[in-house]
Amino acid sequence: MPVTSENDLYELVRSTIDPAALVRHVRAGQDGAIVTFDGFVRNESHGRATKYLEYEAYEPMALAKMREIGAQIHERFAIHRVAMVHRLGRLDIGETSVFIAISAPHRAAAFEACRFAIDTLKRTVPIWKKEHFQDGAIWADGEIPPAAPKTKPAS
Amino acid sequence: MPSVSPGIRVKVLFFGRVRELTGLREEKGEISEGATLGDLLERYIQRYPQLAEFRASLVASRNQEFAAWDTRITGGDEIAFLPPVSGG
Repeated sequence: MPVTSENDLYELVRSTIDPAALVRHVRAGQDGAIVTFDGFVRNESHGRATKYLEYEAYEPMALAKMREIGAQIHERFAIHRVAMVHRLGRLDIGETSVFIAISAPHRAAAFEACRFAIDTLKRTVPIWKKEHFQDGAIWADGEIPPAAPKTKPAS
Repeated sequence: MPSVSPGIRVKVLFFGRVRELTGLREEKGEISEGATLGDLLERYIQRYPQLAEFRASLVASRNQEFAAWDTRITGGDEIAFLPPVSGG
């Protein structure tokens, strides 16, 4: 099992994310900095006006991958606590889809860890986004996880 | 002597556009002993030819971990064919 702090928080939720609560969760006396990432629904995609987004996940695997990212950043950066929450279901324009808060004694580690965490989440966590427009809907292009096999399926 | 190898049972999960294309969320399946994840995908492509177009973009997971296509399936495995991820 990856090693994360027992005070970390990794969650998939279906209701509004409360960023202030997550910031409070990671804030402790020994820290001197918190860096957060707030990912929220943009009103357009490739020039098309977005109506709303729908997120789905392979939930147990997604949570496991989020914890793995937590373990990686604890190993690589001098950070204290991590809160990482992704919302699923229907999200309207401006609503937060993912929020990450990381505390650390010093700011540099928190900045680097937060950047690493969101970049890795977008590449490796099995979550999918469907973009709904006035005139239809498409699955977002997405990224092929790099942990994936090099070998192609037989054709 | 009969040479029919006993089948092994697996659970297969479908997400995103793969779920929409097949109309399946989850299915219990049986496949012959020694089959790989790639073999199982081929079987679904035969059943749902429209999956072929996305084959190169899919990755497989076995028991909630990414796995190579030549991984052999064992009884009770939970398998998914995952489209490119787009969380965040």
